[in-house]
Amino acid sequence: MTLSQIIRQQPNATTLQRWLKKVPYAAYLGIKAEVNDNDIRFILPEDGKLIGNPTLPAIHGGVVGAFMEQAAAFHLIAKMDKPVLPTIINFSLDYLRPARLCDTYAQCTLTRQGRYIGNVSVIAWQEQYEEPTAIARAHFLIRERETISCTIESPDVPQGQ
Amino acid sequence: MSTLSASAKAKLITGISGFIPHTHLQGICLEEINGEELTLRLPFRNELVGNPETGTIHGGALTVLLDHTLGVASLCCDQLGTTITPTLDLRIDHLGVAPAGKDIFAVGRVYHVTRRIVFSDGFAYCESRDKPIAKATGTWVFMPELDISQILTSTDLGTQL
Repeated sequence: MTLSQIIRQQPNATTLQRWLKKVPYAAYLGIKAEVNDNDIRFILPEDGKLIGNPTLPAIHGGVVGAFMEQAAAFHLIAKMDKPVLPTIINFSLDYLRPARLCDTYAQCTLTRQGRYIGNVSVIAWQEQYEEPTAIARAHFLIRERETISCTIESPDVPQGQ
Repeated sequence: MSTLSASAKAKLITGISGFIPHTHLQGICLEEINGEELTLRLPFRNELVGNPETGTIHGGALTVLLDHTLGVASLCCDQLGTTITPTLDLRIDHLGVAPAGKDIFAVGRVYHVTRRIVFSDGFAYCESRDKPIAKATGTWVFMPELDISQILTSTDLGTQL
């Protein structure tokens, strides 16, 4: 089954794992996902191959960004009425603390989904949610026509973007 | 601060890319140093693929490459010399997609320095530097205590420098 077919399945812990396994880079980083009620939590398990600073040691900042970008993409897909693979437009990342060599978590908020554009914010943390490692914001382009037609539900609400 | 020669800069860049476990595992290597401008290469690997249906590289793999390239561009900046600079923030605009199976190159340079902050920008390209696939800009923190020549000389790698 292709990734496009798999993402049409109802997002739950099992299907999220199947999505993540289908993306070679997400599988390489070892990204996992948990679903609690309606919230999706992404996990980047501790792994020596992710080290960016061997002295601390700390996870490479670029890897934390890559993890957050993947989390944002799958969060957006999970929230779509008719899921399709979105294309990243841009990604803006603020580093708040070094990412120590331990499990890293990410949670996303779909701030806005218009006809063509999705805006997702991401927070990544390690031991405490209150002490985030990094925050990020991503814009995605949603290309497929089928998605456009299904999101035009209330013509009174400006779709924008 | 004295200006480093191109070969001294090349040794520092190669040293730091090998010293950082994650960039070493990615095979990120020096392509060219042109004055204060640095070009690094990320060899293509199937593990870096983000879209299994097109074979294109994951945006996150570009984040790792651009974060590293723009970060170590400070080592090529004659005003800064041999100091490692942690990333404060990074913004990446994805202008296009890399053709499947091709190495990616990233160009970075420091364009402004204050007492504490280093401003860098750059881009990633695949076949021609006239056709960038991503543009990046960000800020890094200047920390004089993080002198790479001292860090590298405390390792086996440093003895080669």
